[in-house]
Amino acid sequence: MNPFVFPSLCRRDFLYGLTSSLGSLAMTDLLAKDAPDLKKPMHQPRAKNVIMLFMEGGPSQVDTFDPKPELNKLHKTESKRTGTLEFGEKFFVGSPYGSRKVGQSGLDMSDQWVHLPEVADELCNYRGCYAESLNHPEALFHMNTGSRLGGDPAIGAWANYGLGSENQNLPGYVVMTELALPQGGSRNWSNGFLPGQYQGTRLRPTGSPILDLHGPQHKNRRHQRMALDELAFLNKEHAQAHPYHQELETRMQSYELAYRMQMEVPGVMSLEGESEKTKESYGLNQQETAEFGKQCLMARRLVEKGVRFVQIFSGGWDSHDYLERAHAARIRSVDKPMTALIKDLKNRGMLKDTLVLWLGEFGRTPDNNRRGGVYAIGRGHNNKAMTILMAGGGVKAGAIVGGTDEIGAEAVEVAHPIRDFHVTLLHLLGLDDNKLTYFHGGRYKQLSQFGGQIIKEIIT
Amino acid sequence: MRVVLSLLVFPIWAMAFDQERLLGEKLFSLEIHHLLESKCFACHSEEKGKVKGGLDLTTRNKMLRGGESSDKVLVPGNPEASLLIQAIKWKDPKYEMPPKENDRLYGKQIEAFEQWVRLGAQWPDQESQNRYVEKERSVEVTEEGVLMPTSGGLSDQWTYRRYKPEDLWAFLPIVRPEVHDQTVNPIDFFINENLKEKATVSPAPPADSRTLIKRAYLDLSGLPPTPHQIHEFGLAWKKDQNRAWLTLLDELLASEHFGERSAQHWLDVARYADTAGLSNDYERSNMWRYRDYVVRSFNQDKPYDQFVVEQIAGDELWERQPKEDRNPELLIATSFLRMGPWDPAMVLKHEARQLYLDDVVNAVGQTFLSTTMRCFKCHDHKFDPLPTKDYYRFYAAFSGTQLAERSAPFLKQENLQGMETGQKATRRMLDFAKEKYHQLLEKQEAAAKKWFSDRGKEYLNQNQRRGLPDEEKPPRHVGLSPAETGRMKVRKQDDWIWERRMERYLPLVQSVYNGPLPQKLDARKMRMPEKIGEFETPQTFILMGGSSDAPGDPVSPGVLSALGLSASNHEKDPYSLPKSSSGRRLALARWITHPDNQLSARSIVNRVWQRHFGKPLAGNPNNFGGKGKKPTHPKLLDWLAADFVENGWKFKRLHKLIMSSNAYRMSTKHPHLEKLRQEDPENQLLAYREPRRLSAEELRDALLVSTGELNRSVGGLPVMPEINMEVALQPRMIQFSLAPAYQPSRTPAERNRRTLYAYRVRGQPDPYLELFNQPNPNDSCEERVSESVSPQAFTLLNSELMNDRAIALALRIEEEFKDLRMQVKRAIQLTFGRSPTPVEWERLQDYLGKMRSYHQSSRPTNTEYPTSITRSLVEENTGETFEYEEILPVFENYQKDKKAHEIKADTLALSDLCLLLFNSNEFIYVY
Repeated sequence: MNPFVFPSLCRRDFLYGLTSSLGSLAMTDLLAKDAPDLKKPMHQPRAKNVIMLFMEGGPSQVDTFDPKPELNKLHKTESKRTGTLEFGEKFFVGSPYGSRKVGQSGLDMSDQWVHLPEVADELCNYRGCYAESLNHPEALFHMNTGSRLGGDPAIGAWANYGLGSENQNLPGYVVMTELALPQGGSRNWSNGFLPGQYQGTRLRPTGSPILDLHGPQHKNRRHQRMALDELAFLNKEHAQAHPYHQELETRMQSYELAYRMQMEVPGVMSLEGESEKTKESYGLNQQETAEFGKQCLMARRLVEKGVRFVQIFSGGWDSHDYLERAHAARIRSVDKPMTALIKDLKNRGMLKDTLVLWLGEFGRTPDNNRRGGVYAIGRGHNNKAMTILMAGGGVKAGAIVGGTDEIGAEAVEVAHPIRDFHVTLLHLLGLDDNKLTYFHGGRYKQLSQFGGQIIKEIIT
Repeated sequence: MRVVLSLLVFPIWAMAFDQERLLGEKLFSLEIHHLLESKCFACHSEEKGKVKGGLDLTTRNKMLRGGESSDKVLVPGNPEASLLIQAIKWKDPKYEMPPKENDRLYGKQIEAFEQWVRLGAQWPDQESQNRYVEKERSVEVTEEGVLMPTSGGLSDQWTYRRYKPEDLWAFLPIVRPEVHDQTVNPIDFFINENLKEKATVSPAPPADSRTLIKRAYLDLSGLPPTPHQIHEFGLAWKKDQNRAWLTLLDELLASEHFGERSAQHWLDVARYADTAGLSNDYERSNMWRYRDYVVRSFNQDKPYDQFVVEQIAGDELWERQPKEDRNPELLIATSFLRMGPWDPAMVLKHEARQLYLDDVVNAVGQTFLSTTMRCFKCHDHKFDPLPTKDYYRFYAAFSGTQLAERSAPFLKQENLQGMETGQKATRRMLDFAKEKYHQLLEKQEAAAKKWFSDRGKEYLNQNQRRGLPDEEKPPRHVGLSPAETGRMKVRKQDDWIWERRMERYLPLVQSVYNGPLPQKLDARKMRMPEKIGEFETPQTFILMGGSSDAPGDPVSPGVLSALGLSASNHEKDPYSLPKSSSGRRLALARWITHPDNQLSARSIVNRVWQRHFGKPLAGNPNNFGGKGKKPTHPKLLDWLAADFVENGWKFKRLHKLIMSSNAYRMSTKHPHLEKLRQEDPENQLLAYREPRRLSAEELRDALLVSTGELNRSVGGLPVMPEINMEVALQPRMIQFSLAPAYQPSRTPAERNRRTLYAYRVRGQPDPYLELFNQPNPNDSCEERVSESVSPQAFTLLNSELMNDRAIALALRIEEEFKDLRMQVKRAIQLTFGRSPTPVEWERLQDYLGKMRSYHQSSRPTNTEYPTSITRSLVEENTGETFEYEEILPVFENYQKDKKAHEIKADTLALSDLCLLLFNSNEFIYVY
């Protein structure tokens, strides 16, 4: 236990571990550079870090990795499925794409994936997960925080709470989005009731990567140093009058940490040290892959620097109409970058410790309703089936786990709710969902809310 | 078990055996049989249809026979050899029973099984089992705990379970504790009594006058005192300390700011926001009227019982008033029932309805009864005497409650400033959206016309051609590029967004009514039907596992039975509420505010205490259950509750009582703090005062007080302070489109209102307020946290908001004093409320000198406010990006704050000093 835990900061009880306050964290860092604020995993971990590629809108399982020949035969015939939201006349929608088996393992991929087959044998396609909510923000919250309401801690916050951070000058949970925030906004990476240091920090795609990271440009670093020294003087005078209230000390230290972060963050954001070849492989030179490619490359750099959990949101997967064009464009924008990411991690020997995930908030239906009186070739929201891609970090390589029914409407084999998926992720990180709890509002809370099962079939 | 151990040394073995048999039988009857039934029989009972592994566990003989994998399932007397025991312990990965992690037996249950086997695996017949059970249930108190009568759980096992008496503290009636010393404030009596009992140190000495006035100002008004107020108070203090203090309290309680500060805490609990959250994040246009209702209620010192009844059943009271005298205030109060995030879009109707009811039930329970209701929605409460039946009886009280924006004329007391200009600004946005939409529609229809005429057919508009087969009409979005298709959708969304915002200026209120469930639920527009005919309030059922697909027994409306407080004269069912469609909520509210309701009174005095001491007496103000934190001063809590009710549920009196105690006036400094750290490391005994950081709102308001910019007017339409510009203009997804950008109010006077009045959007929290722990309004916040994280340092040093305030303060000081030395002094006065020490004075003067020379060569740049921006969005139907223009008319003649490039180098230097003072602990903490 560290010597700088102050009663005033620890009003809430901790069941697992005892988080160090930022003050002590900064302090340790001053005394011994790079001394990590690490906590022991609860059991042998299979992964140290997670990179989650979140396809906002809900990618279609049958048009990506879970082909359904039976469904194609039903194309444009009437659908009488019930229990979904689409009202009025419905008809089945076959996939506009062909599909083929790729890699030695024979994973299914639609023909829109041009690059990803190169790493097929690193991938695990899990087809058994199902969601609860049928609308975006609730489903996004559910996948990200384990609760449909929004405002509970995100899985990245839990992971950092459980394992601590390896780099004191960078946040342990980093989020990258497109220019537009996903539905539900920052509640998707909230620290919820966990202490503030576990909140996901969004590195902004334009402007300052962190809000107010730098002051107005007419104040240079020397100016800032003078200001901090003066502030330290004021606070020190004051602290001498209140020697026992250590949170005053904590606040002082947080300024020094902020000062160092100002140096560290731009370093990670800059891709200057990366070779042209690397940049090309991530698709930085092509317009449609440049944005996601840059984020994937940054994700690798962040993980290298010891960031525990990186999340990238990529939107536009909500194809209710014009499915062929829409999904093809989305696939094109992520295909090359994510392939490069997996290869790069593999080449650097990082893939075994890094769990890469590709998923959305739910899957899509095998049918659609007539829109404006015409056959709209698209798909609705489906909370009963989805498709998840995983690589590295202790999951089976070149494997298909679980399955959906003949038309891809429902998960039927190795079927598990999202909470089981969450429990499994924590398990891979060396954490036990039932023990990773936090006392809040009069009870101990956990990511899965009420506990869940490990999906053993996914794990090597 | 203790009994068994003592029996082991009993000399007559035969008798011991007999005793063991009896103990084993009792154990089986009271615990084991039930566990077997609930955990094992589903898979191991021929009668129930499943005999997995050939093992049937329903009788002793069958258990002894074993199954396919072993015949040693049960070895009486030898738990180690019994596979049953090994399996429930999950010792062998092959036999982990019950197989699901969630069903696993826990320690005490496993011990019971082991003990049962050790005692010979007794299995008495059903009749003997019943005898054991009846005998056990006839004793109210045993070593295992006490019974608690309720309306009954889903199983007898739950109904007759026992509780530790200390876990039931909140459910026990309040008996006003005796105060044995009439010469001291009763609060000090209880605190000192507790302190003497548990520690050796004495309470801290009183704080000085300057500390006290700042403490009292912030606690009661949320604003720091001005140097002048501090000075005046100091003079009065010198004459007569006690009188000065009591006069100060009276003044603060009489100020309108008292209601504002009180409302802040109440709105945290009630989850106030101006929008509905979730995918559409619809504006709840008139929610501000509820916010002001709360402020008014506190300022009027409205009795708490009345305040509660109005919020739960204001509409039912309103209905009962004579038509010509109906008070709109009562409808405004019911906005409380509309506060949760809710949107039925893309949710099945019955589920959307259930989501609302679950939310409102939990909100009422947490807010008024400090009971987290969702803990017994799916099953009987795991720890507290709250059966799931009571959850659904409570739920039934709301089953006829429908949501609507109802008309309620504006009151004289309501602040209607800015209505006209606001309406104009909204109209401008609406017209722009409409115009752009129609341009695109015209383009599409021109192409459609051409399509028809090319085929020699007569033109049909969108509606007319809707039903035709695909071949007989032009393609959708004919004539439009994918980008234009996307734009058309955006404009259509904007059209209704602004159309809807026009409702802000109508005398509507977010309210409820009793009636049948509307045909369609759509949060965009919810109006009350003109006539509500005869209707039947739907029957409520216990929903098994919380699922609307699994209705269990029907229930009638009722209250929580564990309180033992009746809600009606009904002889057989004293806990019932009226079955009539109207009046259920009113009866519920009356029960909640009954003087004998032990939860309500404890709940509210605990919250008031928390406001003054930074922490509540009972540690979880929204959950008084057995697993919540127990009160540190139970007698004090009960005394306060009893006193509060006896004296008419009045807040101002309670505040004065608390603040006139010595406990409240203690210093943060204690002569024996080291000793206290050992005896009471968490300061649970309240032997000294803990400093607290200003809340997000207090911090911003305090800045405005010190710069002199604060506009102190009370209430009215939500105001739009400047928020971080990147966030204000940040595109934000809502259903089908992007939300419009955040436009701050045009003039400083409008922007510089108290933070309480800032527009609160669930999907777009102000990053500054969020950073300083303004709670997420989706969940009731029982207690604010205040932790130090480095992004706070970024914001406090670097943000535009802070730099603008520092410049404002510098300009104010320059106006008052030209001399550098006096400027330093004045800066300290306006931020810390005191004069500088000689060392400070010297050093800060020196710093100011250095900054003056630094800024001789610094070149600040202008801050631009764009009047329109280009947005880009991925069109979900094509997967491609498109752009569109959004206008920001407010910036066309925007009165911005003074910026760095407009002021002299010396002023800029002084602003650097002001910024440091704002960043210092002395400014940010209250002692």
